[in-house]
Amino acid sequence: MDWLRWIIFVVIILAFALSFVMAFILLERRIVGKFQLRPGPNRVGPMGMLQPVADAVKILLKEDITPAKGDRWVHRLAPIVAFAPALLVFAVVPFQGKGPGLGFSLDQPAALADLNVGVLYIVAVSSISVIGMIMAGWASNNKYSLLGAMRAIAQMVSYEVPLVLSIVGIVIASGSLSLNSIVEAQSIPFILLQPLGFLIYFLGATAEINRAPFDLLEAESEIVASYHTEYSGMRFAMFFLGEYAYALGVSAIVSVLFLGGYKFPFGLLPQSFIWFLAKIFLVFFLMLWVRSTLPRVRIDQMMAFAWKFLLPLSLVNLLLVAAEGVSTIGFGWAAVGINVILAIAFVVIWANRFYRVKGVTVG
Amino acid sequence: MIWALLGPELLLAIFALAVILLDLAVKQKGVLAVFSIVGLLGSIGASLALWGTNGIALNNMLVIDKYALFFDVLFAAAAILVILASTDYVEKLKGFQGEYYALILLATTGMMFMASTRELVSIYISLELTSISLYILAGFLKDAKSTEAGLKYLLLGSVSSAVLVYGMALVFGTTGGTHLGVIWNAVKGLNGIADNPTLIMGIVFLVAGFGFKIATVPFQMWVPDVYEGAPTPVTAYLSVASKAAGFAVILRVFFEAFGRAPWLSQSWGMLFAILAAITMTVGNVVAINQTNIKRLLAYSSIAHAGYIMMGLAAVGLMESQLALARSGILFYLAGYGLTNLGAFIAIIAISNNTGSDLIDDYKGMVRRAPVLSLGLAFTLISLTGLPPTAGFVAKIYLFNAALQSGLLWLVIVGVLNSVISAYYYLRVVKTMYLGEPASTERLSSSGPLRVALTASCFGVLFLGVLPNTVIQVTEAIKFLVS
Amino acid sequence: MGLAISFWLLAAAAVGSALAVVLLRNVFRAALLLISCFFAIAGLFVTLGADFLAMVQVLVYVGAIAVLLLLAIMLTREAATGSPFSRWRIGGAIASVALLAAMIAVFRATPWKVADQSVVLKPTTAELGARLLTPESGFVLPFEIASVLLLAAVLGAIVLVKEK
Repeated sequence: MDWLRWIIFVVIILAFALSFVMAFILLERRIVGKFQLRPGPNRVGPMGMLQPVADAVKILLKEDITPAKGDRWVHRLAPIVAFAPALLVFAVVPFQGKGPGLGFSLDQPAALADLNVGVLYIVAVSSISVIGMIMAGWASNNKYSLLGAMRAIAQMVSYEVPLVLSIVGIVIASGSLSLNSIVEAQSIPFILLQPLGFLIYFLGATAEINRAPFDLLEAESEIVASYHTEYSGMRFAMFFLGEYAYALGVSAIVSVLFLGGYKFPFGLLPQSFIWFLAKIFLVFFLMLWVRSTLPRVRIDQMMAFAWKFLLPLSLVNLLLVAAEGVSTIGFGWAAVGINVILAIAFVVIWANRFYRVKGVTVG
Repeated sequence: MIWALLGPELLLAIFALAVILLDLAVKQKGVLAVFSIVGLLGSIGASLALWGTNGIALNNMLVIDKYALFFDVLFAAAAILVILASTDYVEKLKGFQGEYYALILLATTGMMFMASTRELVSIYISLELTSISLYILAGFLKDAKSTEAGLKYLLLGSVSSAVLVYGMALVFGTTGGTHLGVIWNAVKGLNGIADNPTLIMGIVFLVAGFGFKIATVPFQMWVPDVYEGAPTPVTAYLSVASKAAGFAVILRVFFEAFGRAPWLSQSWGMLFAILAAITMTVGNVVAINQTNIKRLLAYSSIAHAGYIMMGLAAVGLMESQLALARSGILFYLAGYGLTNLGAFIAIIAISNNTGSDLIDDYKGMVRRAPVLSLGLAFTLISLTGLPPTAGFVAKIYLFNAALQSGLLWLVIVGVLNSVISAYYYLRVVKTMYLGEPASTERLSSSGPLRVALTASCFGVLFLGVLPNTVIQVTEAIKFLVS
Repeated sequence: MGLAISFWLLAAAAVGSALAVVLLRNVFRAALLLISCFFAIAGLFVTLGADFLAMVQVLVYVGAIAVLLLLAIMLTREAATGSPFSRWRIGGAIASVALLAAMIAVFRATPWKVADQSVVLKPTTAELGARLLTPESGFVLPFEIASVLLLAAVLGAIVLVKEK
C-alpha cells in the first residue's frame, strides 16, 4: 500500500504547507504590528483572521502581465521553479517518529520518504530556488529585476557555504544523513550541543530565504522589488507564497536539526507532531523578532559577513565537533558545557576583531 | 612507512602551504624563493633517501620505485631552476609572489604524484592538480597576452581532460578496474581487437588526452600561443616538467596496462610511431618561419615531443626493448630538460633587458652579453643535437633504441628532421654572433639567474661528455609492475 | 519494470535537452536546458540505485555550476541572440555524427559484461565513505590529492580576481 501512503502524505503536506503559509502571513503582520506598537490588520473576520483569504482573492483577480520584450516562456516558468522547491523540502521532514507517541502510536516514521540522504536532499533542493529567481530576473527584461537576480546569486552562493558546513556538524554528531535519525539522536537537543552551529545555520538560512535583515533583494529604495518587479497577479502570488513557504521550510528544518523535531525536550513528555509544530512557530517568531529589531545590512556588509564572519566560525565549529567526536569527550553534557562557553567566547572575540578590521562599516 | 613513501610529495605540499603563510609575514619577498628552494631540495633529499626502495601503499595506488623517484628528482630540479630564473621576473607580479611560488610547488607536487601512482583516478586528479596550477601560472601577468595564454590553455586543457576522462571511463567500463594491474588482468584474457573494441576506443581517447599534455600533433595548437603569452619562467617549466610528467604517465600506463599483450602493444606502438613522425615534422617545419624566440622554442618543443615518442613506439613494438627504450626516454627527458631550461633562462635574462622576444633583437647579442650569448648558443646546439652536448648523446641513444625495435624508417625521419632543425637553431646563433647590435649597451643579469644558467649549461655539458655515469643510472631504473 | 521505464524516459530527456543545449541559439534558454539535462542525469542515478550520487549531482551541477553559468551569461551582452554559427558548423556536424556512428558501432560490437542481479536500492552513503577513506582498500590517494587540487584552485581564484 505504498502508493496510498504517498498520496495521503502528499495531501497532508500540501494542506499543512498552505495553511501554515496563510497563518504565517497573518502572524507576521500581526506580530510585527505588535512590535511596532500598532494593532496590525484586524478588520476582516475575528482578529483579522480572514485577512490572508481576502488578500488571496484580491491578488488572483488581478491581471497577469508579461513584459512585451521579455522572454515569455521563461517569465511564465520562473515562479513555478521558484515555488516548487519550497514544497519539495517537506518530502523528507518527519512529523512524528516510530513507536508510541502522545495519543497514538506509529509503526514507521511519519514522513513522505525518510530518505537516508535526507539532509543532502534538502540542501540540493533548496539550491534550485535560486534558479527560479535568476529566470525571473532575466526574463523580465528590466534592469532592476536583473540586478536583483544578481544580488540573489551573490547572497545565496555565499551563505550556502557556512550553512552547509554547520549542517556537517550535525551530521557528525548524529552519524546520519536521515532527518528521522537526526531527531532520534537528539537526547540532548543539538542547539545545546552546537550553539555555534545553530547560530550560523539560523543566520545563514535567514539570508538564504532573503528575510530581514538580509532582505537586500527587496530593498525598495534601491532596486524596486527586485526580480518580481515585473510580476503581477497569480505569478506574483506564487513568489510571495514561496517566500513564506521557505520561511516555513527553514523553521521546520531548524526544528528538526537543532530543536529535536517531534520530541519533547529531554523526553519529559512522549513524542508528538504537536511539539514539532510548536517549535516551527517558535522559530518563526524568532525570525520576526530579528526582523523587527535589526536594520537591513548593506550589500558589501552582507558579503563580508558571510565570508569573514560566518565562514571562519563555521570551520571552527566543524573542527570542534569533529575533535569532540574522536576524543573521549563525545557528545554528552560535558560537550554541552564546553561548546556553550566556547561559542560565546568565539562570537565575542570574532565580532570584536571583525568590527575593528572593517572599521565602522559593520552592522 | 607510508609517510616516508609519501615524503617527497608531502614535503612539497607542506612547503606550498608554508610559503603562503610566510608571504603574510615577511616584507622581503626574496625569502619566499629561498624557502621554496629549501623545500624542493628537501624533496630531492627525500627522494634520494628512498632510492632503491620498492614501496607500494594506499591500496596499491601509490608506487614508489626508481622510476617514480627519478621523475621526482627531475621535476624538483626543474622547479629549482625555474624559481632561480624567476627572481627578476617576480617583480612584475606585484604582490603575488607567495602565490606564484606556492603554485609552482603545487604543480610540482601534482607531477610527482603523476609519476608515482598507477591508478587512473589518481593519475587524473594529479594531472588536474598540475594543469590547474599551470593554467593560473600561464595567466599570471594578467596582461592581454598572458590572459589569452591562460584562457586558451584552460579551455583546450579542459577539453583534453574531458577526452581523457572519457577514455578512462571506457577503459574502466570494459575492464572493471581503474588500477593498472586490474586492467592488465582483464587485457590478458583478450586475443584481439574483436574481443573488445570499446577498450581500443578508450585507449585512443587516452592517447588523445595525454597527447595534449605532451603536445603531439594534432593536439599541439595551444602550444605556441600559450608559450608566447605565459610568463617566460612558466613557459620554461611547461616545456620541460609538464612534458616530462606526461611522458612519465604514458609510459607507465601503456606499458603496465596495455604493453604486455603483443597484439595490443603493436597497435599503439605503431600509432605512436606515426604520431612521432608527424609531430616532429610539423614542429620543425613550422619552426623555420618563426620570428619570436618563444614561439620558435614552442615549435621546437613540439618537435622534441616527437623525438621522445620514438621511445614509446619502440616500447610498444618490441617489448624486449623496454629497458633500452625506457632508459633512452629518461635520458632524453633529463637532457632536454636541462637544455631547454638553459635556453629559456638565457632568454629571460636577455628579454628582461631588451623587453623583446623577437629574434631580430638578438642581433649582435654577443657583444652586449657574451656569457648569456654563449649559454644560449650552447643550449641551442644541444637542442640541434650536435656534440659535445646532452642533446647529441640523447638523440643517438634514443634513435638506437628505435633502431633496435626495427623502426628504421622512423629513425631516418628523425635524422632528416634534425637537419631541418639545425637550420633554425643555428640561424639564431648566427644572428647573435654575426649581426650588428642595435645598441652597444651591456646587459645586466641577476645572480640567481647566472647561477641557474651556469648550472644548466654545466649539466648539458656533463651529460654530453660523460653520459655513461647517468646512463648507468637510467638503465638501472625499473618500474614495479603487478 | 517501473525502474526500467523511468530509466529510458530520463535517458531520452537527458539526450533531448543536451541536443537542445547545443542547437538553441538563445544562450540563456540553452543554459536552462542544460539544467534540465543535469536533473535527468540525477534521475538516472536514482534509477541505478545511486541515491547519494543523485543528490550530489543536483547540489553540485544545478546548485553551483549552473548558477555560475547563468551568472556569467547575465554579465554577457547580447546573450539572447546567442553566438553566430561558426563557419565550421558543417564540418563539426559531420565530425560529431561520424564519431557517434563509430561509437554506436563499437559499443554494439563489444561483448559487455552484464551484472546478473538487478539493481538493489539500498543506502550507499556509508559504503561510499568507506570506499573513499579506507587506506587499505579505498581511494584515499586521489581523495587527498583532490584536497591539494582545491587549494591550488582557491589560490588561482585569488590571483586572477584580486587586484593588488
